[in-house]
Amino acid sequence: MTVKNFLKDKCLLLILHGVCMCLLGAFLRLTGYEAANTGLILIFWTLILLVWLGTVYIQRKIFFLEAGQILEKIDQRYLLGELLPDSFRLEDKLYRDMICCSNKSVIERIRQIEEEQRDYKEYIESWVHEAKAPITSISLVCENGRRRWGKEETAEAGRAFRTAGLENQRLENYVDMVLYYARSEEVYKDYLIQETNLQEVAYEVLEKNRLLLIQNQVSAEASAEEWVYTDRKWIAFILNQLLLNSVKYRSERPVFRIYAQKGKNGVTLTLEDNGTGIRQEELSRIFEKGFTGSNGRNHERATGMGLYLCRKLCGRLGIGIRAESEYGRGTKIFLEFPISNYINR
Amino acid sequence: MHIFVVEDEPVIRRELKILLENALYQVTAPESFDEVPNQVQQVRPDLVLLDVNLPGASGFDICTRLRAQMEVPVIFLTSRTDAMDELTGILKGGDDYITKPYQAPLLLARIGAVLKRTAGIKEKEAVRLSHKGAVLDISSCSLFVQGQDIGLTKNEMKLLHLLFLRAGEFVPRMDLIEYLWENQIFIDDNTLSVHVARIREKMRTIGVWDFIETKRGMGYRV
Repeated sequence: MTVKNFLKDKCLLLILHGVCMCLLGAFLRLTGYEAANTGLILIFWTLILLVWLGTVYIQRKIFFLEAGQILEKIDQRYLLGELLPDSFRLEDKLYRDMICCSNKSVIERIRQIEEEQRDYKEYIESWVHEAKAPITSISLVCENGRRRWGKEETAEAGRAFRTAGLENQRLENYVDMVLYYARSEEVYKDYLIQETNLQEVAYEVLEKNRLLLIQNQVSAEASAEEWVYTDRKWIAFILNQLLLNSVKYRSERPVFRIYAQKGKNGVTLTLEDNGTGIRQEELSRIFEKGFTGSNGRNHERATGMGLYLCRKLCGRLGIGIRAESEYGRGTKIFLEFPISNYINR
Repeated sequence: MHIFVVEDEPVIRRELKILLENALYQVTAPESFDEVPNQVQQVRPDLVLLDVNLPGASGFDICTRLRAQMEVPVIFLTSRTDAMDELTGILKGGDDYITKPYQAPLLLARIGAVLKRTAGIKEKEAVRLSHKGAVLDISSCSLFVQGQDIGLTKNEMKLLHLLFLRAGEFVPRMDLIEYLWENQIFIDDNTLSVHVARIREKMRTIGVWDFIETKRGMGYRV
């Protein structure tokens, strides 16, 4: 609010005063009043008007300055109506009531959406848990079938069970992705920070995917004998996504390596493959939601969710994630676990 | 070893029973869960596999009641993956907590680990295996043939271990590779051939030929 704007706003009042002053001057002149006295009256009039305008200007200026500051400070700006400074003016009161009323409806709408979203998430979570029972059954049936009929004379049946088991595992991963996506918003509900041996997690993930990796002729190596404080389950999920990516974009003789290095500020876990790699111009965007890139488009099943989820979960866990790649040569993904100085073994 | 399985999904129960029986455990899997503590009391198993979500009762409560009566090891099986649930499971006195869907080798390994810890069971594997005059010594990681000692790498030892365990039959390459993967040796098909060639080379230096036979498209046999 500048003086100019303020005066523009009050221009009707100014014109009215100007016209009144002219009329009074003319009237006094006609009735033979002394010119000097008339001038004096008009000067006083102008002075009083100026003082009045000045006071109003300062009052308004203070009021809006205060309101502006409040707006800056609060994080939920739609609550402004409740926090506006007191004012004796009728207009201010009316506006304030209206703002309150409008805000109330906004808040109600937000609450409603939040509730719907929470219900939806809860349903997704319970659905995932229900879906896991049949997935477990299928996995056990396949495992038993493979063991019983996987011998040479009925290798055909063994192969069928193996394929079904692999597909089931893919299904399991998709189901898990949904679960972790639903949970990624409020990770604090599902944390269990433990001292975790990265080697064990790496082994777990490799063993879990052994059928897929063997089928695709991948050879792997893991030397990650480092301890970090993190949530084991989440890390396993992240490694699983990265491993599946490496298998998806593999080369002729795929090699996958996981290794950890302890640095000054933390432990760096590196996942390295010799697959197709990522084009330089796409490297900065691979963690974006829905980004599939040229590799993804050549591959029908890329959803652009895997790496996005990885980065999101890493963010929640306080782990740094970045990628290096040489197109046609391979990719390295680095996970950086910070070491807190507060925790002493 | 006797394992008591409490699981309400019929298919999982049946398949789990088959899986465990194939792994040479004795299995009891009841179909009603009202009297689990009493049943366990009667059967006196070495281990209880307990589903957390049961109709009518929670596995956690059953575990508490079990604990009040006896000291049998308990492994929780559950499809819930909450950190809170896991913590509850441990606080209620569970010895391990495995989430569905579980991988068969992983499940068997964890069962083995709990049994070993609680009952002081020794590894069932023999430390020495012999076949056709050759002795595989697992503890020293070497193969004794004709009085000579051949040093083996970890990978070669594991490979020979499975061949010795299934001596006399052709072991498919796939089985060998899977067995190695289950033992944290993550190699591909080509590398398997390389390892077999190395073992043969080592045996040839002491004058043993054709100890490992190859059948094309089938696998290897000792």
